[in-house]
Amino acid sequence: MEKFLLRNIENPNSTDINEYISVGGYKAISKALELKPSDIIDEVKRSGLRGRGGAGFPTGMKWSFAAADPKKPKFILCNADEGEPGTFKDRPILEKNPHLLIEGMIISGYALQAEYGYIYLRGEYPRAKDILKDAIKQAHDKGYLGDNILGKGIRFYLHVHQGAGAYICGEETALIESLEGKRGQPRIKPPFPVNEGFLSKPTVVNNVETLANIPYIMEIGAEAYSKIGSPDCPGPKLYSVSGHVKNPGVYELPMGTTLRDIIYAHCGGIRDNKKLKAVIPGGISTPILSPDKIDCPMDFVNMPKHGSMLGSGAVIVFDETVDLAKVCLRAMKFFEHESCGKCTPCREGVGWMRAILERICNGSGNEKDIELLIEVSRNIIGKTFCPLGDGAASVVQSFIKDFRQEFEQHITKEADKEIKAAA
Amino acid sequence: MITVTINGKKIALEKPVTILKAAEIAGIKIPTLCHHDMLEPYGGCRLCLVEIEKMPRLQTACTQYVTDGMVVWTETEKVVEARKGVLEFLLINHPLDCPYCDKAGECDLQDLVVKYGPATGRFAEGKRTHPESYDDPIIVRNMERCILCARCVRMCDKVQGASAISITNRSSKSFVEPFSGGEYNCEYCGNCLTVCPVGAIMSRLHKHAYRPWLIEKEVDTVCSFCGVGCSLTLQVRGNSIVRAVPKPGKGLNKGLLCNRGRFGYDYVGSTNRLDSPLIKKDGKLDRATWSEAFAYIANRLKKIKETYGSNSIAGIASGRCTNEDNYVFQKFMRVVLGTNNIDSVAGFAYAPAQKFFEGIFGQGVTANPMHGIANSDGIFVIGGDPTSVNPVLGLQVRAAHQKGVPVITSGYMQGLKMFSSKSLIPDTFTETTLLASLLTGLMKERPFCGLNSAFEKIIRDIQPVEIKEAEEICGITSKDISYAIDTLSVMTNPSIIIGRDILQRAEGHTNLLLLAALIYLLNGRIYLLSELPNEQGLVDMGCLPDMLPGGRPVTVDIFRKRYEEFFGVEIPSRSGLSLMEMIDAAHANKIKAMYVMGEDVVFNVPNTKYVKDALSKLDLLVVQDIFMTETANLADVVLPSLAWAEKEGSYTNLERRMQMLGKAVDGKGMDDWQAIAEISRMLGFDMDYKDSGDIISEMARVSPLHKDISYKDMADGECIWPYKGEPLRHGMSIEGIEMPDVKFPMIRPERKKIYIGMDNPLFHAESLSRNSAALHSIAPEPYVRINKALAHELSIANGDYVTITTNSGSIELSAQIDSDLPANIVLIPNNFDGKGVFAVMSWRMNPVIKSPAMDFTEAVIKKIKGAEVLT
Repeated sequence: MEKFLLRNIENPNSTDINEYISVGGYKAISKALELKPSDIIDEVKRSGLRGRGGAGFPTGMKWSFAAADPKKPKFILCNADEGEPGTFKDRPILEKNPHLLIEGMIISGYALQAEYGYIYLRGEYPRAKDILKDAIKQAHDKGYLGDNILGKGIRFYLHVHQGAGAYICGEETALIESLEGKRGQPRIKPPFPVNEGFLSKPTVVNNVETLANIPYIMEIGAEAYSKIGSPDCPGPKLYSVSGHVKNPGVYELPMGTTLRDIIYAHCGGIRDNKKLKAVIPGGISTPILSPDKIDCPMDFVNMPKHGSMLGSGAVIVFDETVDLAKVCLRAMKFFEHESCGKCTPCREGVGWMRAILERICNGSGNEKDIELLIEVSRNIIGKTFCPLGDGAASVVQSFIKDFRQEFEQHITKEADKEIKAAA
Repeated sequence: MITVTINGKKIALEKPVTILKAAEIAGIKIPTLCHHDMLEPYGGCRLCLVEIEKMPRLQTACTQYVTDGMVVWTETEKVVEARKGVLEFLLINHPLDCPYCDKAGECDLQDLVVKYGPATGRFAEGKRTHPESYDDPIIVRNMERCILCARCVRMCDKVQGASAISITNRSSKSFVEPFSGGEYNCEYCGNCLTVCPVGAIMSRLHKHAYRPWLIEKEVDTVCSFCGVGCSLTLQVRGNSIVRAVPKPGKGLNKGLLCNRGRFGYDYVGSTNRLDSPLIKKDGKLDRATWSEAFAYIANRLKKIKETYGSNSIAGIASGRCTNEDNYVFQKFMRVVLGTNNIDSVAGFAYAPAQKFFEGIFGQGVTANPMHGIANSDGIFVIGGDPTSVNPVLGLQVRAAHQKGVPVITSGYMQGLKMFSSKSLIPDTFTETTLLASLLTGLMKERPFCGLNSAFEKIIRDIQPVEIKEAEEICGITSKDISYAIDTLSVMTNPSIIIGRDILQRAEGHTNLLLLAALIYLLNGRIYLLSELPNEQGLVDMGCLPDMLPGGRPVTVDIFRKRYEEFFGVEIPSRSGLSLMEMIDAAHANKIKAMYVMGEDVVFNVPNTKYVKDALSKLDLLVVQDIFMTETANLADVVLPSLAWAEKEGSYTNLERRMQMLGKAVDGKGMDDWQAIAEISRMLGFDMDYKDSGDIISEMARVSPLHKDISYKDMADGECIWPYKGEPLRHGMSIEGIEMPDVKFPMIRPERKKIYIGMDNPLFHAESLSRNSAALHSIAPEPYVRINKALAHELSIANGDYVTITTNSGSIELSAQIDSDLPANIVLIPNNFDGKGVFAVMSWRMNPVIKSPAMDFTEAVIKKIKGAEVLT
């Protein structure tokens, strides 16, 4: 398949605006500015593009909500707070193809009649910050940003804001709070950001990859775009593959490519030709899958049918040597560390799950601990303020459901302990 | 109409409310921890989860709004399980130190766990630890107990506006802390303490000294510190006040308090309280019996009256005393002693300002409900920082600003620094020019309404000041002045908040005229800041040299005749002396006797030495007070009176609302009115009041304004302007009001000279806080506020000791460096014994409004070398 999102990234000078233009960059803008803003929104709606951040919400619909709100000004925010373990799909765009994102944001800004856009960048991406700032300056100098874009009297400014290293700020309302200078914690919804977002004004928050798809839709048209990949959620998709595959990395493939194809056809199969033990398909917060489920197409529609989620498309592959109980513990340490502390179940419950897992992994767990773990996770799921706690609890549940023996092997039965003590 | 069904019970609602509110209306209790009626919904604790039909997930009742046809269940198995789970989670890190925790017995978490929680917890690991913090003078923080409901932070940010605390760190390691280890803006209002559901934020004053079940009675009363009149409840054990707390939603403060109201009540139980009458013998005050003291006073007053005439006697009333005390006081002076020489410190600014505005706009023009400030479409503040003079009123300004209402402030105001759209800080003593330029600009933008043509004529004649001219004189850019004019010009019913600083000036009367013109042009509502709890009541009770009860001028025959007929005596037809005139007259030996009720004249009147000299020349000085004040030290007779929590009576606040005090404890003194009644009887005039209720019913017959009012009206909260009486209508004329000259001098103070001014600190309250250990623990040391550049020039660092010398005296203080203060003025508070600003401040009489002009006292500042600690 022809690459679009990762087009030209092999070029060492890909961040230079002239290089980007030479492969057809910034053409979509001219095309888009000929259209009425509402026509662009319709085009995006027709393309079937769904948000690439993880939730898969139809992008065109999100835009039309914000466009319909009479309040002004409006804002477009790019969620570049890519912080979920296993996810690094946005990084090549941010570091190697920044103009694609900028072009996408300018078109989105015009479609929404927003004059200001912000890229909320993950604190741990310092290189991307410099690259983006430089790219924005270049675009400004070329007249793609500023008060009078391409002489058409259209105004759009773009700023980069670097986060301070909190996973929760990838949640859109927490991102907005953080951008406003407050503590990064999710807000009550409704009101939704499309009505009351940044500075209480209509705001669209889109993932980097989502925005990077916009120029492509403009270029080939909604019709052609909607024919790529899965019919219900079309388009190219970036999969970031890590773990025990021969060739880990970011792959641009049509939406709906099966996990088996990703692992074996594109990534060269399991390292050292070991056996596959499990796959986490969409970043650490998505439920883990056993090898019998890897023929599932990786898209928003099919993954839930197989008990997991597409998430950000971050595939983490585990071979037979991996101790999944320890993986689960590591994941819980992450969630405990990143819990913002706003709601009780996530703040206290996730730490408790971590404590139990730690007990199990260091051999001091008992037979009741696995049941307790399940009960604690049940008291979290469905009761938290935002999906972070839910994610943590569902990870525990999915690990225990399919890989219970991995936990049991750490637990010495009380009877065995007595035998040991006697000897 | 919205119909919802909660637990099978159908309720109809006018407009959408949260499920929590709807359940409350239906009489169904849903447990909560992070929710508080004074705060916005938060949705953090997850205790109020409920089941809604057709919704797969449980929803928080505090954030979810009801929709028509919604069916809610609050006690299903799923809900009960979830609730139990949340409580189990909360107890993971919450220490079970209830036997030792001061909150036990009134702890929300404790109560909820008893009612809904699991019998045992299953958490096996250790709890988080965090040392208890004693960094704050009166608040102790135990963050191990914190359940992170964030009520305190939301209160501090959104309601108090101090933004002193924040949640730091993440997950269960989150704690509520000051931003930067002690260097923060805490206003010690303690409102965080009100909302903390557990024992995480507690009062240090009550640590291990308080158990809720040991409270024997609760007494509802009104705060004794400033003119706002916040409702509060005193909790009493034996004969001592254990704690002062606000009642949620109650009173005009709606559950909020400031540091003084909440912590400052301890002066009542101070060991320095007077407990016996004292009579001066051989230059020394000796203990005496009440009857000895009364007889002594009566004899001496009688003799002085006979020898020198009624007008050789003067009386000073107090805005700390009740309406009843003040009414009886003016009656004593007028009817028994036959003089109109009655005044108080209210005569410095509050009373003249009110009189001036009422003269133009009609009586009651300053009687505006306080919540109107937050609901107005613009605010202009001048002459005092409302957040320190009247803190709870100040919160209205902050709330308005947070809602987006434009706030223009004129003058140095720390508390509104973050809450003003434009802060104009004119150079020292140039407010008159600034006001005139604002007026000149506004006149171009706002046409006259034609309602008061006489006043419009005066406004038209006011000498115009162009923006350029003001820029040069006041040191404020034209851009800022224009911005202020533009912002003011679009306001339709702004609140104009006026403090005393603007009046106590050589051009105080001109400032009043300019303000009146501004108010007229803008259709503004006036709020006069008031430092005393009953300053308005004192005015309304007739404790002024020219006003009878009900604000009737004594010089107008029909009012005076009516008063004379009521009591069957004749009183002088001419106005009496103002307070400053009394001091001058005492100096000149024209006043022979002075009766002071509840006022420390020496401390609260500028130029201490001059005042002391004047009082020392008197033949007789009688002082009624609760403490041995500097004035009492000079007295011939001292009578101990009752403190606010020891007596019954009423206060009238700055919005002219009359509110009742509640008697919480017994005192050793005597009611001020009762002592006066006793003396009066000995002078042959019977005042037989059984209790304060008798006084109010007599007053209601004497004052046409307070016709038929009673304590019941006050208890019902209905005693608001214009009561049931007849306000004095001036009509739309301005006759009888002395108008200042409309051609005023443009004052240009010399920039090289240093002047002194008065500071109004938030943590103190006039002279009263001197006897509150609690308030003193917050800000124990007298200080002088010095501009940063000036301090630099004089090589003074923060905390250095300096000497301030003027032609009136000299004091030593520690320096507080401040970058917002104009360069050529230093501010000194008047709240510390022997170190008050009045010790070094001189004054001149303002000829028009008869109040002391306190500007232009020049000072010399010198750093004290090598003085580390002053004793």
